[in-house]
Amino acid sequence: MRRRHLRETPQARVALVLACIFVPSVRAEDDATFFETRVRPLLVDRCQSCHGPKKQEGGVRLDSRDALLRGGDTGPVVAPGNPDESPLIEAILRQGPVVMPPKEALSDKETTVLVDWVRRGAPWPESRPDASAADASNRAHWSFTPVRREQPPEVENRGWARTPIDRFIQARLDAAGLAPAREADKRTLARRLSFDLIGLPPEPETIESFLADPRPDAYERLVDRLLASPHYGERWGRHWLDLARYSDTKGYVFLQDPEYPWAFTYRDYVIEAFNADLAYDQFLKEQIAADQLVASGKADQSALRGLGFLTVGSRYLNNPHDIIDDRIDVATRGLMGLTVGCARCHDHKYDPISTRDYYALYGVFASTVEPDVPPLYAAMPDTPESRHHAAELAVRETALRTYVDGKIAKLLDTLKRRFGDYLLRAHRARGRPRTDDFMQIVDPEELNPALVARLRGALERAKRNRDPLFAPWHALAQIPEDRFADEAATLVRQPAESHAPPWNTLLAQELAANPPKTLGELASCYGRVFVRADAIWWDYTTRAKLNGNEAPVYPDASLGELALFFHAPAGAFDLHANAIDDIALVPDRASQDELKKLRDKLREWRDKGPGAPPRAMSVVDKPRPVEPRVFRRGSPGQPGDRVPRRFVEVLGGTDTAPFRTGSGRLELALAIADPANPLTSRVIVNRIWMHHFGKGLVDTPSDLGTRGSPPSHPELLDWLAAEFLNKGQGLKWLHRMIACSSVYRQESKPSELVRERDAENRLLSHANRRRLEFEAMRDAVLATSGTLEPRVGGPSFVITAATASESSRRTLYARIDRQELPVLYRTFDFPDPQSSSPSRDQTTVPPQALFWLNHPLLAAAARGVISSVDVSRHAGISDRVEAIYRRVLLRPPESAELELSLQFLGEEPDGDAFELLAHSLLMTNEFIMID
Amino acid sequence: MSDIQELMEGPDPGRAFGRDSSRRAFLDKCGMGLGWIGLAGLLSDTGRLAQAAPADADTTARLTHPLAPRVPHFAPKAKQVVHLFMNGGPSHVDTFDPKTTLTQYHGKPLPSENLATERKTGAAMRSPFQFRRYGRCGLEVSELFMHTAAHADDLCVIRSMHADVPNHEPSLMLMNCGDGRLVRPSMGSWVTYGLGSENQNLPGFVVLCPGGYPIVAAQNWRSAFLPGAYQGTYVDPKHRQIEKLIENIKNRRIPRAEQRKQLDLVQALNERHRAARESDPQLEARIASFELAFRMQTEAADAFDATKEPAAIRERYGASTPARMLLITRRLIERGVRFVQVWSGAGQPWDNHDGLEAQHRSLARDWDQPIGAFLTDLKDRGLLDTTLVMWGGEFGRTPTAELPQLSGRDHNHYGFSMWLAGGGVKRGHVHGETDDFGFAAVEDKVHVHDLHATILHLLGFDHTKLVYRYAGRDFRLTDVHGNVVHDLIA
Repeated sequence: MRRRHLRETPQARVALVLACIFVPSVRAEDDATFFETRVRPLLVDRCQSCHGPKKQEGGVRLDSRDALLRGGDTGPVVAPGNPDESPLIEAILRQGPVVMPPKEALSDKETTVLVDWVRRGAPWPESRPDASAADASNRAHWSFTPVRREQPPEVENRGWARTPIDRFIQARLDAAGLAPAREADKRTLARRLSFDLIGLPPEPETIESFLADPRPDAYERLVDRLLASPHYGERWGRHWLDLARYSDTKGYVFLQDPEYPWAFTYRDYVIEAFNADLAYDQFLKEQIAADQLVASGKADQSALRGLGFLTVGSRYLNNPHDIIDDRIDVATRGLMGLTVGCARCHDHKYDPISTRDYYALYGVFASTVEPDVPPLYAAMPDTPESRHHAAELAVRETALRTYVDGKIAKLLDTLKRRFGDYLLRAHRARGRPRTDDFMQIVDPEELNPALVARLRGALERAKRNRDPLFAPWHALAQIPEDRFADEAATLVRQPAESHAPPWNTLLAQELAANPPKTLGELASCYGRVFVRADAIWWDYTTRAKLNGNEAPVYPDASLGELALFFHAPAGAFDLHANAIDDIALVPDRASQDELKKLRDKLREWRDKGPGAPPRAMSVVDKPRPVEPRVFRRGSPGQPGDRVPRRFVEVLGGTDTAPFRTGSGRLELALAIADPANPLTSRVIVNRIWMHHFGKGLVDTPSDLGTRGSPPSHPELLDWLAAEFLNKGQGLKWLHRMIACSSVYRQESKPSELVRERDAENRLLSHANRRRLEFEAMRDAVLATSGTLEPRVGGPSFVITAATASESSRRTLYARIDRQELPVLYRTFDFPDPQSSSPSRDQTTVPPQALFWLNHPLLAAAARGVISSVDVSRHAGISDRVEAIYRRVLLRPPESAELELSLQFLGEEPDGDAFELLAHSLLMTNEFIMID
Repeated sequence: MSDIQELMEGPDPGRAFGRDSSRRAFLDKCGMGLGWIGLAGLLSDTGRLAQAAPADADTTARLTHPLAPRVPHFAPKAKQVVHLFMNGGPSHVDTFDPKTTLTQYHGKPLPSENLATERKTGAAMRSPFQFRRYGRCGLEVSELFMHTAAHADDLCVIRSMHADVPNHEPSLMLMNCGDGRLVRPSMGSWVTYGLGSENQNLPGFVVLCPGGYPIVAAQNWRSAFLPGAYQGTYVDPKHRQIEKLIENIKNRRIPRAEQRKQLDLVQALNERHRAARESDPQLEARIASFELAFRMQTEAADAFDATKEPAAIRERYGASTPARMLLITRRLIERGVRFVQVWSGAGQPWDNHDGLEAQHRSLARDWDQPIGAFLTDLKDRGLLDTTLVMWGGEFGRTPTAELPQLSGRDHNHYGFSMWLAGGGVKRGHVHGETDDFGFAAVEDKVHVHDLHATILHLLGFDHTKLVYRYAGRDFRLTDVHGNVVHDLIA
């Protein structure tokens, strides 16, 4: 369809096109036909590949009228009826800074069509975007509909199913003509259960007594015993910590201390919650809003530790937007399998999640802050030491606060005093590369670059929003220098409201009284007025306080506009948020060093001073919550429409009510934990299922959206979710239900038929063979060697520099440094703790084998095996070999294995030879695979 | 000798097992042999895999053999990548982008206002180095890189690079991972994810940085949400002992022959375990990984041992640390390692805010000769055609100096130079230019995303299609950006 024309000279082209613009259009055809036959094909052909549903270069979409009017990063692209004010036309004429299409210009005929169309008022017969139909069907996506109360299906052969779960599985197997595998032998089951439920191998005695237990419910008793073990919380707590992107450090934070000294309190909270079988909804609520639950008596003080769920994330060089993004992600993808993070820059491409949803939640987390000194979660003993600690802490806290407040006061004072200078600098910066995103270092007496960048942003916003306060500035500043005095004099004589946009009346008066002759004088005039405005603000605010009012009432809008410029909460010059970590605010090295010194002094005492108690990584609401705006293309420099803080519409409905209390965090927690939320219960039962079977019923456990995999057994998933809710949301109930099923007890051997018809085992005709994850693997080595330290909880230890007693602790107590994870972790597929992780990869690479072959841990473990009583008490070679097999592989050797082992040992083996044998068994596939 | 036998016998004769039986006989006795057929295709003597799988092959194969070679989207020009990372930011106006106007304005303010960078800069500063033309193409290069410039007719210099901000951390992240702040996999991870590696006895993505980490450390070569197998293997070439270069590469307890014997037992037990079960790629892959690991112990030691090079070659490279690193790099490239990133040093060596003349001179002295020798060496061995060599920092430096002295330059992301060589790029070519002073790229600008898109293109990938599904969307190295710069491609 692309039409090519001979090129005229550019001048001729412009003349021709401009001629078109000024000739009234002849409506030879009606708007709809004109649009459909000429305009739409043109937009589709030449524009929409970059400005359509798939891509939105510059934030611009040209596939609906709404989108055209909403425009892109720099505002609307079309002024209906007005081609010469439409950036779209400017771009296709290739006259301005933006030239479109970037490579091949539109032909004159094409250009004329678009010019004519805009002049007609840019008619678009069906003004809804094409995406809306897809949107509606997306809302009907299975996971967004309520959990159904399914009945377990009837099955013909009733001999196999033990639980309702089994009937769902059997029905599908029957339909596929497949039979379930046999039940695994008791030894295999004991090992599988033990690793699944507590992440450790069974003690050899446990196995033997289980084998010898004749009671019909011996299996169920074993399940119960394991679920009651304190190690259960360690095992399943660690699964949760993957999801919570747990780490003991902040990631890269430049000059700051990267430690989270109390991250372990969150880890221990999770372990305790699992061990106590805390109802899942309460567990969720505490992790999002424990501070508010504690305040209203709905949770214990110790639950404050749970807020680490929000705060143990990465700090992205303290970029607040990224920190908030991380929290939105962990709360939505982690708890609901909803990928809300995709809507940061544009509406979600597949799921019905809009940028409005994203920024509604953004507002919740932007209204949430972490106290400099986090709260205690248990009563502090009243000792002289603890009193001294508290007193000194207060002193250091005040010192830091005073310094920061002083800096901010001084910054704002300078800003006001030198407002004219700042204004000129910000004005000159327009059109030059942005500097918001980077740190600049300057001397203290110079204009502060961070403030210049903020003022520049404020000026741009003011222009877009037609703000009366800067309307005079924008009107006058564009006058060329040589005509400035004359033209300014004319303009300032006109009444304030006659301008478009209208001018702020107070400014207009001042300008009329002292017409500026230069841009500099205009800037000074602004400076004078703003200093006065600030005094007025102080005056009114003080009076309001004296009268017991919350906010001052200004006699007229113009005064209010002025007074609020420096003082709008969360406005450009609200510098207090995050000031302690925002090093860009103090751009000189000396102040940065001083700030860092005071900060370190406080934190060091807080964390390590004598008598320092552990603290919860808690959060609190800001006194005044942030009113969020959508950031176009995710850029904070381009705020768009306001949105209320509220839940996502796909779950809350199109009339989702705004949150009312504080940040809305508690309401968010309630909405996520609501039994009626169709995602939350499905997501958790699927995750638990995944860790029992190696694969979830939904194979994309953190994405239940339209791009996720559909469930293999949708009815079973819903039955589990509904029963889970019905039975009081206890996870141990769920484990028991799953572990006691026949499907769980199958052996891991597929039949020939199965391998042909269901190679991926989606129908669960047999158990999936799994490999121990990093923690379970290392713990199993320690447990086998008899050196595992069973103590639960406590501060983290450094795995690469551990003392002997530390290094025998379970692996989940090792410090996780997200900035520099030990190589071994990634080698064994430990997930990147930068963000929430739904499941682990299972790669097989030679560096893993190198660990097994050569790491000193293995040699030490082998030594432990040999010196354990059950091995060392045997004198005979064969007896010792058998004891080693029982200890490591939890079974006696078969005769061929015994022969191989004896051959390996040679005639007169010494202790070293036995150690090498034990080491060999630790390296086998059998040791790290769970059948 | 068949492949299977070859595998079983290994390069090490080590027939220490038992008194009367060779390993072969022993294995036959335990009924092994058949199980190895699955592995035979996987391994050959050199550790090179026989057949490459398509880049988008299913995930199971990716996990059981994550580094198996893969075929890209279309015929590649380059197969391997060497990235010489001059961290800290070398000055382009002192190396590959001469600006005579700076001499004219030396000590005086530029006629236009300086662009905002990390620190305040004042007057223009002329380059203290002499430039001259090299090669038939007449490429202008400063005296700092005269040996490199001897290859002028093979270089493709980009003088119009630009990045996003003038601070080190985000710029390093952008250059390596395609995003300044968010957690994304590094380019080397993406490339090994896409192509696997040619040698299974060595890591597929090797990072050399002497004396410690560059700033932001291991994040520079992280695999982020890609499987851990694709992260860079960091090696500190200051160490000479192999066990300090690669974790767990050496067993301190038992000699190699004895370890072979131990491994034979393990494999015999694994084989019995496997035989009692249905065919399972996980089990087979783990068995193979032990054989590879066993060989890696000698292969890696050999590959990283630069002293094995003939004296004449070593002399050509010189005696500096970069010389040793580049020798090792050549040995790795020869052995089929997919991506080697070589850093200038710990911290940010090229970050010369003052004393630039002396420091740039000393750094370049260490690097120039080895680079020249390295390029010659690759050419001599016919490796340059398929190896993309890339040189540059995370950004360049300002043409203006930080006052009061006129001795150093600030960071500059608005415009800087990088050069490429080999791997299908144009030879003796200059792409783009900066303004009259070298402050900002103005002609044919190449953003870091564009460079990434081009590198992937040279390797045979459509950069918009080399993706990984994570957190609900398909991620790629270039995110939503990047255009292939066809003018760089021969």
